[in-house]
Amino acid sequence: MGVLDADGECFTAIRDELVKLESQGVNGTLLATHLCDLASSLVSSTYGLNTFFVLISAYLVFAMQIGFAMLCAGSVRAKNTMNIMLTNVLDAAAGALSYYLVGYGFAYGKDGNKFIGSGSFAMHDFKSDVDYRNWIFQWAFAAASAGIASGSIAERTQFTAYLVYSTFLTGFVYPVVSHWVWSPYGWLTALDPEKEHLFKSGMVDFAGSGVVHMVGGIAGFWGAFLEGPRLGRFDVRGRKQEIKGHSGTLIVLGSFLLWFGWYGFNPGSQVAIADQVSAIIVARCAITTTLCGAAAAVTTLFAKKLLVAHWSVADVCNGLLGGFAAITAGCAFVEPWAAVLLGFLAAWTLIGMNALMEKFQYDDPLEAFQLHGGCGLLGVLFVGLLGKEDYVEQVFSRGNFGGLFYTGSGRLLAAQLVGAIVIILWTSLLMGICFALLKAFNLLRISQEDEIAGLDLTRHGGSNYPGDDHHPAKLYPPTALGQAADSNAKNVYSSKV
Amino acid sequence: MECNSTLLTALAAVASATKLDVNQSAVLTELVCGYDGRISDAMSGISDAVTGTNTMFLLFSAYLVFIMQAGFGMLCAGSVRAKNALNIMLTNVMDAAAGAISYFLFGFAFAFGGGADSNGFIGNDNFAQSRFHADEPFARYEMWMFQWAFAAAAAGITSGSIAERTQFTAYLAYSTFLTGFVYPVVSHWVWSPSGWISAFNTGNMFLDVGMVDFAGSGVVHMTGGIAGFMGAWIEGPRIGRFDRTGGTQEMKGHSGTLVILGTFLLWFGWYGFNPGSLTVIVPVGKALNQAVVARTAVTTTLCGGAAALTTLFARRWMAGHWNVTDVCNGLLGGFAAVTAGCSVIEPWAAILLGFLAAWTLIGMNRLAEKIKYDDPLEAFQLHGGCGLLGVLYVGLLAKKSFLMEAFPKVEGTPYGLFYGGGGKLLAAQLIGAICIAVWTAVMMGILFYVLQIFDLLRISPDEEAAGLDRTAHGKSDEGKGGPTLLVPDVQGTSPAKQDTEATV
Repeated sequence: MGVLDADGECFTAIRDELVKLESQGVNGTLLATHLCDLASSLVSSTYGLNTFFVLISAYLVFAMQIGFAMLCAGSVRAKNTMNIMLTNVLDAAAGALSYYLVGYGFAYGKDGNKFIGSGSFAMHDFKSDVDYRNWIFQWAFAAASAGIASGSIAERTQFTAYLVYSTFLTGFVYPVVSHWVWSPYGWLTALDPEKEHLFKSGMVDFAGSGVVHMVGGIAGFWGAFLEGPRLGRFDVRGRKQEIKGHSGTLIVLGSFLLWFGWYGFNPGSQVAIADQVSAIIVARCAITTTLCGAAAAVTTLFAKKLLVAHWSVADVCNGLLGGFAAITAGCAFVEPWAAVLLGFLAAWTLIGMNALMEKFQYDDPLEAFQLHGGCGLLGVLFVGLLGKEDYVEQVFSRGNFGGLFYTGSGRLLAAQLVGAIVIILWTSLLMGICFALLKAFNLLRISQEDEIAGLDLTRHGGSNYPGDDHHPAKLYPPTALGQAADSNAKNVYSSKV
Repeated sequence: MECNSTLLTALAAVASATKLDVNQSAVLTELVCGYDGRISDAMSGISDAVTGTNTMFLLFSAYLVFIMQAGFGMLCAGSVRAKNALNIMLTNVMDAAAGAISYFLFGFAFAFGGGADSNGFIGNDNFAQSRFHADEPFARYEMWMFQWAFAAAAAGITSGSIAERTQFTAYLAYSTFLTGFVYPVVSHWVWSPSGWISAFNTGNMFLDVGMVDFAGSGVVHMTGGIAGFMGAWIEGPRIGRFDRTGGTQEMKGHSGTLVILGTFLLWFGWYGFNPGSLTVIVPVGKALNQAVVARTAVTTTLCGGAAALTTLFARRWMAGHWNVTDVCNGLLGGFAAVTAGCSVIEPWAAILLGFLAAWTLIGMNRLAEKIKYDDPLEAFQLHGGCGLLGVLYVGLLAKKSFLMEAFPKVEGTPYGLFYGGGGKLLAAQLIGAICIAVWTAVMMGILFYVLQIFDLLRISPDEEAAGLDRTAHGKSDEGKGGPTLLVPDVQGTSPAKQDTEATV
């Protein structure tokens, strides 16, 4: 789409028509000029608005990095905070580079096939604003997916392993999945009304319960599963020991920032706003997102009161996020009441997944697999049941498919199921191999001594909270390292006179 | 004139010639027919939409730049010792608050007053927003908001250099002077259409191109960093920072969490700082404004990412571990560098710049240590050093077509040396950088020196040992010691007994 001069192509095109109006006493030339100006201003204004909308949404999705960093920091022990936060910074920073070099090309390059994209590597053929704004929006999503996985392997993973898995996930594993579902050339996609779709439907995942959350969660699962639980998490008889995070304040701060950013993640996935249909879809997404998260949070609050007899802040926050992860697939397609129902289901899904993973002695410091994997899958399947046909048609500009309870047809549900299974298999295969190789070369898990002392002291140059006398991080283990750090602390940054 | 079939056919032809999609075509028809063919009303309807979009864009960008205050507040708090956290955060609040008043009264007028009609050195009109009007590009409220947020950013930078040992009176004095006079004059030179070295001075363009500093590596970061240098140099290093044998004592900040929170908030806000500096997003004619904005967001991201990654590995190699604070500072150094050229360099060039910015910061830190210069936030090294790098980089790698999109440039304009654009742009960048440095050093040097003579600059050694929060900000000994914000919610001492749950 371009912006044209008033007396160029446009003028020539309508001149013949307007000559006919001259007999009615109309100044055809002037009218032509005005009409062309009008049309071209309309195009400009739409362009400006849509670009603005996509960019703001991208910035909001980026803000979820801050949220996730705070959530992670608060959820782990103080001695590992620097480590986990640094991995969050690197997900965004290193992710930007790998997504620039190859990731975007594998996802959206136009020269590929149904399986993988090709072209646009290192932005070599980027021309218009649409290319750049799409890149930044999609990069923010890729960084989110990598961030999710880091939660599962927190507190016991070597930094090298983080760099390797993160680059691989953002540069290849995730882009390929996003190509299947979100590129008009992908084999799973529901986009592009002109072509054939899987089961005459295609997989419907508006903002990524499958593409982002399941991929991130399953990647995390394999890392955490292969390296094993944190020391002390399950005792000798297999009973669990709760390892609580060190700051509820940070957990809440992080959760709120994630909630805030989700308003870019879900509604922003329409990637347009300057027309009536898009505006409706965007607004609907904001509503369903809000309602689902809220319902999940409230459900979790009461469920945990029932189960553990108190009002649990950290659990409510996780439940909230589970609701968001679930609604991400169907935010544009479900009715508000259905979003509330989904939130209720997501809360119980998370509780159930946690109970299940405990049975397998699987340890995930952020419950990332249970939340993003479990609630993500729930969200993907839910669309197949309760995606309203009218809404689906509004988004995809073609009709005749929708949720089972609206249309009576299982085609969409089948597509969702196939998509979910393939995503699970693909991610498991690739990330399983990645983590297995890291483990084989002794690059995955840190040593026991390092784990006890904490990653901050052993790999990041010192405690996150130096000089805090009240903090258990000061209880350094009786090693030479611990003693040296301890005496240093007393000399240099005592906060007491 | 009614919407008869001829007019409708004409509209269809217009729609297809201008390549409108189905929705836009419907809107066009509705507009014309809705106004009974009163085209001028339809035009003003669209013109309103354009204005609304641009205003929203500028305001939203201003809010994002403003949130960098929160980011800088958190970064500062986390980077100093706990006993001085309240102090540094209050200075951040005051930069924004007192800065608003002085920028309202004088700052904006010195910066942009008079628009294209004032002189080359300083603006001279619109004190206290006396003649603001929606139609004046440089005398409207949304522009004031945006520019104030920038001024507050510059003042914030300086506070980092003089942290942990400066009297609060001195903060108020320098901040008002910087935001009300020193910074506005610099921004006048480079950004006002009448500025002597401005790239917007179409009547009298310095070296045919002017200084190209899109969002302020020179105007904001160098100014803030050099002002900080003068303060920190004149008052001397923190007690204990350099010992008698000439060794350096590391003084770690009290919370890595706050450093990361602050860094991320700054990153987030930078998406207003850089892309917002175009101040418009709706394309006009051949000016693809929206493309410039989107591309700027991309180059900003890539430069920061590259700088962070480079710093990660460089420090791992040099210090033996993965250092969080250093990576955060490296990241910010990348952003400070790309701020000048974000709209005119290619994405690969942004990555290269990030790499260079990381090493620049490391080098500047080494240099600072050698001359026994103490800067708790590395503010001078980061904003001054990487800012200068960014300014000069534009002279080397500004792409001609990008330059012509982002600035009012004509064919024949000088552009980046490495693209074959000649040396004029590089010369303009160098001269601009030197003038900014000299002006700021002289003005702020005089101010800080006068403050010192009147014993208003540095706090006493006793106060410094006790910490400013207790001596100047009323913080008592009761309650938990240690970090003032985001206190780890620990009740017991054993890790297994940590309790993060609220008991209601």
